[in-house]
Amino acid sequence: MLKLFKIIADAGEATAKYPFAPFPVSPGFRGKPELNAAQCIACAACTTACPANALTMGNDTADGTRTWQLNLGRCIFCGRCEEVCPTHAIVLTPEFELAVANKADLLQKATFRLQQCEQCGQPFAPAKEIGYVMDLLRQSGVAVDEARRAEFASCPACKRKATVTRDAVSQHLSQEAEQ
Amino acid sequence: MNGPLPLSNPMAPRDERGMPVPLTESEHIAALKGKLLKDIQRSAYVYRVDCGGCNGCEIEIFAAITPVFDAERFGIKVVASPRHADILLFTGAVTRAMRMPALRAWQAAPDPKISVSYGACGCSGGIFHDLYCVWGGSDKIVPVDVYIPGCPPTPAATLYGFAMALGLLDQKLKGTHQIEGEADRAVVAHPAIALDVRVEIEREARRLAGYRAGRLIADEFLTLASETDLTLDECMKRRLSGEEDPRLAEILTRLWDIGAGVARG
Repeated sequence: MLKLFKIIADAGEATAKYPFAPFPVSPGFRGKPELNAAQCIACAACTTACPANALTMGNDTADGTRTWQLNLGRCIFCGRCEEVCPTHAIVLTPEFELAVANKADLLQKATFRLQQCEQCGQPFAPAKEIGYVMDLLRQSGVAVDEARRAEFASCPACKRKATVTRDAVSQHLSQEAEQ
Repeated sequence: MNGPLPLSNPMAPRDERGMPVPLTESEHIAALKGKLLKDIQRSAYVYRVDCGGCNGCEIEIFAAITPVFDAERFGIKVVASPRHADILLFTGAVTRAMRMPALRAWQAAPDPKISVSYGACGCSGGIFHDLYCVWGGSDKIVPVDVYIPGCPPTPAATLYGFAMALGLLDQKLKGTHQIEGEADRAVVAHPAIALDVRVEIEREARRLAGYRAGRLIADEFLTLASETDLTLDECMKRRLSGEEDPRLAEILTRLWDIGAGVARG
């Protein structure tokens, strides 16, 4: 009998203390995806990558905003969003206590401003994405100052038009110079 | 049952257009349920209703009643009949064929009962949400008290969900809505390192280690390289001296080669 108690004592207790003590998750555990909205550029890479369509984005052109939405009830915690995020804005945390009584609490949202085109006034890209592109150009050695922001804040159609006009003018000028 | 269902059939309530709507609870039952949760002095029996799931959720439910998580120490016991159940656990995205059996299980359970929506499919249809043959969540057919998301929920998350259903623990998750501030600006990672070098190192790390781990390793390498006062060679020698994982060591050595190549020009 004592021998049996000794064996039991040696084997220890297998049962986890949870929920009376915090549950230590294993390294690399994929829990609730957490968005750092300050770092997000609203590029929608995560919504394209999301296999379950838990991540969605919608534009409100009248308001000039783009809203990111994560439905945790649909999320399968695969981590694709974390993999594709270019700015490391979305990270899977070890948080697993996600049960809710009210379904609306499963929705996580974030709203971003859209950039209006400097020429035609139509919204065409998130404002933060433009700032990020300028920073990336600076990082790769192109001198871009804030004064050139208007150039970057033009929609592709207006940019094309401006290029055509500029080229036509310069061609005209070079012909004059030749004469 | 022969012929179309009568509109007043309590088994399958329908709206004015003839479309099925979720079953509802009467106020009396809801009050009884509140009383049950307040004064529950006995075990809670769980009946698991599979509404067309992949069995992943079932595996985790049974993991939750193994000795490691041991839901039975709280008196939570999985029973074989809905007639014994206090808690109904709906798993799966509710396929067309499993809707009526699920409704019958719900009606067979004695009142007051607690319905729990289990797993991503149960909460909102999960990856099957837009399939033609599913209802997309157990809340489309029965009144649900607690949603446990996850694909599948871990045993610990299952215990937490049960505790929430029994009113022992409080809900932690809240719906959030972040709004972009005026001064918000995305920070470029590792600004001290040229973009093409960073991209090359990230690509190589991801090629060798896989997408997620590769990014973590590339991040570590770039942080080491940009924040040290030592030369890259010294810094990497110091980093690799105590490294016990040969795979990580190999990948870091490969990144070191690329970094050294860039430094040489």
